[in-house]
Amino acid sequence: MTEEKKDSKRKQQIISKLLKATIKAVIFYGIYFVLSMFLTPISEIVPSFQQTVEIFVIVYISLMIIGELTRGTVFQHFFNTAKVFFVMLYLIFSLKRGIINIPFQNISLMIDLRLFMAIAMLLSLLGLAKCMLQAINYLNEKAEEAHFSSL
Amino acid sequence: MKIPIRMISIATTFFWFFLIVFYVSAVYSMKDVQFDFEEPQTMLTSRNQMLFCLPIKIDNKGYYNIGSFNVTTKISDKEGFPITQASTFIPVIERGRQTTVTHNVTINIDDLFQNSQDYLFNDMELEVHETVGMKLAEVIPIQASTNFSMPWGAPLYNFTLGEIEYVICNLTHVTVTIPISFENHAFFNLTGSLRMCMYNSTSVLVGEGQTRIEVPQNTFYQEHVELTVPSMGITEDGYFEMYFSTPFFNSGPTVISYD
Repeated sequence: MTEEKKDSKRKQQIISKLLKATIKAVIFYGIYFVLSMFLTPISEIVPSFQQTVEIFVIVYISLMIIGELTRGTVFQHFFNTAKVFFVMLYLIFSLKRGIINIPFQNISLMIDLRLFMAIAMLLSLLGLAKCMLQAINYLNEKAEEAHFSSL
Repeated sequence: MKIPIRMISIATTFFWFFLIVFYVSAVYSMKDVQFDFEEPQTMLTSRNQMLFCLPIKIDNKGYYNIGSFNVTTKISDKEGFPITQASTFIPVIERGRQTTVTHNVTINIDDLFQNSQDYLFNDMELEVHETVGMKLAEVIPIQASTNFSMPWGAPLYNFTLGEIEYVICNLTHVTVTIPISFENHAFFNLTGSLRMCMYNSTSVLVGEGQTRIEVPQNTFYQEHVELTVPSMGITEDGYFEMYFSTPFFNSGPTVISYD
């Protein structure tokens, strides 16, 4: 009976994790979908722009789903940290130091996104700090649990 | 520790949302900003400088103000030697407002001809580097630049001296008739005078004469200059020094040899 209860609880946990991951992914994709409509004029000028953003969204959603599925384990914090690092590296490589040059017909278009990049990096660092705190908190809780169960 | 973590989480989510929405909306609102570059006009100023006027109409129907709008024009010759540079700057174009600005580029023709006489006698292409910059929402700097060439029409295109005629005027002097021809390819009407000095093979000034020139743009000019010179001073070969004097420029000496 206890085993059956444990099994059903585990199943419920997995279903809830899956549900949460799906909802989060759908919301994130929804936001991307809405924003992408606003960015259609850029896609017309820069053909590779949409592809670049799509790759980012796919990888980010994948890491988000994996992070959600591994919730309650130490791996969740690994994936959350990986997600933050991915965002930082992606911004560095895709924004090319914050100054983007786009040739369009006979015109050379330059967009200076250094301010955006700086703020995004600071926010990513804040996110990284949050992941670290979460991991410390998780390990702390585990140590406390182990300590109290040994008493 | 859970409360600080939650606070950081809320703060980062809020700032990420604000940052992305602000940047996307600022870029998106550019579709509602209209730039209308009207037909450029060429004229002459009271200081006899060549003036290019480019009226630009900006209709900002976007969500944000546009800051630091500037247009810069650099004109150089084929070798990259700078001829002139001009900038027009508008600190802020408020949203919902229509602004018209005239971008003026002046070229001092006199200085131009002093630098090189090629501009006087030969048609050529000038390189124009045009840059338009602004700050979207007064925060995001963007810049568009392009290069194109602009034709330059020489005012004395294909300037040639015809067959020189010598007519004995009296025992001591000879009348020398020098036919001259050219085409005025410049955008202005050429009015002024041409002074010719005749030197013999020993570089001794033997005579000089002057003629008035009035040549509308894109027309052919053919006239002659008459000089009365002492018959003793004439040699088989020598050279002419020519001085052009117009309201727009003074040029000379231009040396053309004869034989």
